Amino acid sequence: MMLEYVLGLSAYLFSIGIYGLITSRNMVRALMCLELILNAVNINFVTFSDFFDSRQLKGNIFSIFVISIAAAEAAIGPAIVSSIYRNRKSIRINQLNLLNK
Amino acid sequence: MNLPGPIHDFLLVFLGLGLILGGLGVVLLTNPIFSAFSLGLVLVCISLFYILSNSHFVAAAQLLIYVGAINVLILFAVMFMNGSEYYKDFNLWTVGNGLTSLICTSLFVLLITIISNTTWYGIIWTTRANQIIEQDLVSNGQQIGIHLSTDFFLPFEFISIILLVALIGAIATARQ
Repeated sequence: MMLEYVLGLSAYLFSIGIYGLITSRNMVRALMCLELILNAVNINFVTFSDFFDSRQLKGNIFSIFVISIAAAEAAIGPAIVSSIYRNRKSIRINQLNLLNK
Repeated sequence: MNLPGPIHDFLLVFLGLGLILGGLGVVLLTNPIFSAFSLGLVLVCISLFYILSNSHFVAAAQLLIYVGAINVLILFAVMFMNGSEYYKDFNLWTVGNGLTSLICTSLFVLLITIISNTTWYGIIWTTRANQIIEQDLVSNGQQIGIHLSTDFFLPFEFISIILLVALIGAIATARQ
């Protein structure tokens, strides 16, 4: 029962993260929704590792790798956003055509 | 974590409620600072979920890295680039939003149907039967350390190189 509940919560987080990632006009909010999606994946990894693999715990290892990749992404993302903000004075996501000139 | 039944269920429902409301707040709040704090609420609830499912090391890593580093970095990014332009997006509901909400709701319903139609307990008993021979000699933290230093050693080193390259690239990108 707990397994289905947690998997349902993870599916909810994943769908709402995709919704926010598509419809957000603010770039920082898009980064937040990306974190939501990665957290949904992490919940799935940890729950399956606890229920199916409680001796080896390889899902925990993969979730640690996902967390560190998310840390690298969260270092790169605001750097790019701040560089765009210095050039354009705006962080709206539909003004990302800096590369065409 | 071996809690008694009603406390465990109450904690599950409480954390699930916080997670649902926080996820809605990340997407639907108009001020980005409020949605960053709501993201912090979601991350803390996920960390408590990890504690409930016996993964204390991942819970500590989640709390330190996500709440302590990533959420604070996102808050700084919001505060640096907080223009007055989010007022223009107030109540701006377009066709694309409706279409996306339809697609995401259908994706959620599809995932819920697949989850509820799968017989998880058959899989649990077949995998538990294979593990019943091995003894519980090491704890979870020791098991993670053994994995990281033996058979996941090369990805571990690659992760450190990726973090170093990402930090240097972030400094070089954000520099004036």
